[in-house]
Amino acid sequence: MIVEMKNIRKHFEGLEVLKDISFGVDSGEVVSIIGPSGSGKSTLLRCATFLETIDGGEIIYMGKRAAHTDESGRAVYVHHRELRQFRAYCGLVFQQFNLFPHYNVLQNLIDAPIEVQHRNRDEAEQTAMELLKKMGIADKAKAYPYQLSGGQQQRVAIARALAMKPEILFFDEPTSALDPELTGEVLKVIRQLAEEKMTMVVVTHEMSFAKAVSNRVIFMADGLIVEHGDPREVFENPHEDRTRQFLRVFDR
Amino acid sequence: MTLSTMLSTMAAGMLRTCGIFALTLIGSLPLGMVIALLRKSKFAPVRFLVSIYIAVIRGTPLMLQLLVWYFGPFYLFEWSIRGWRFPALILGFILNYAAYFAEIYRGGIESMPVGQYEAAEVLGYTRTQTFMRIILPQVVKRIMPSVTNEVITLVKDTSLAFTLAYQEVFSLAKQISASQTSFMPFVIAGVFYFIANYAVAFAMARIEKALDYYR
Repeated sequence: MIVEMKNIRKHFEGLEVLKDISFGVDSGEVVSIIGPSGSGKSTLLRCATFLETIDGGEIIYMGKRAAHTDESGRAVYVHHRELRQFRAYCGLVFQQFNLFPHYNVLQNLIDAPIEVQHRNRDEAEQTAMELLKKMGIADKAKAYPYQLSGGQQQRVAIARALAMKPEILFFDEPTSALDPELTGEVLKVIRQLAEEKMTMVVVTHEMSFAKAVSNRVIFMADGLIVEHGDPREVFENPHEDRTRQFLRVFDR
Repeated sequence: MTLSTMLSTMAAGMLRTCGIFALTLIGSLPLGMVIALLRKSKFAPVRFLVSIYIAVIRGTPLMLQLLVWYFGPFYLFEWSIRGWRFPALILGFILNYAAYFAEIYRGGIESMPVGQYEAAEVLGYTRTQTFMRIILPQVVKRIMPSVTNEVITLVKDTSLAFTLAYQEVFSLAKQISASQTSFMPFVIAGVFYFIANYAVAFAMARIEKALDYYR
């Protein structure tokens, strides 16, 4: 297992966003998380990438425990210095890209490898250029984010996350901020990564993509995992009413 | 007094004006950042003290503040204030401008989208790295117009040094005008201030242009 989330609980000001969520991701797997907005999908990713702290439960990366619940029922994290190691295991691609506008594309890709991971500049640049080539935007290395289309920016964001060489990459609705004609180019690179056996968790509203690319699908509603399994099964033969109800909206 | 002696006397005063201007900026631009960061401190008493400081500085005239810094040590502690004129002047200017710069910085920092912090956090940047490498460079660009305003105001505010009878260009203009019963010194002072601000505006425009490579 790359990551295991066990009995995760999280609330914001009295609102329970995650109620006892458990799932794990194996190396090379692609897991899609679908569900209505407000179901806690994004919060779950933010907990997995340590942008949010959990109230209870357990987070395990590579067999090592990053957070657990103590006797009093409170979640305890490892010391923040150790937590930085756990952060290095995971990458996150945001809905809004969040590129650094004052850096050009190449700088966006090499700054963290050099400054955070203390990697050699030449090596970091070489890795970055290979990633840009893979994303089909090698010619944009010297461009600034504002000069790129949304689809290109999101591909840079994916490359930036990959430049850190994470064990697992999380995507938080990677195409939701894009014009419909630009979603294809982003989905294509994610599909390509899946073929290369990159471990990924994708929160998405692109149902056909989730069905075609993922090994497993998780359907979330109201802070719970309602259904979890083979994409064929979940999409074509859902067991739960709530899942059927949700999928019907997309069939129309 | 000939026009040329008038001009050279006032040029010397203009140099002192530039001295106040430069020292104030050198002191207040960095101090303002320290204050802005203290204002966001985790420690509540620090935040409270800083907000009081900013409220007092903004709520009272700079002229009054200069008088307090200069005469305060004598009236409060009966200390000798010989040689204290120039230090008091610079102290007053720096502490005043630092408060305004701090508010400009704070506005700039708070205008940064949270996504920038989150992207940096996920990439493993430390808090210091995030601030120095990601946030600060973008804040500098965002606040340039407000900083330009403040710097131009400072050029003109240096004339308040006349309250402590410091011989900068404005004090000299008043003195020479009175002694020579001439209007000319005011015209010369006005031209000097205008030229100084023209240079400031030009320099700031250059900096803004240099930061224009991204949006």
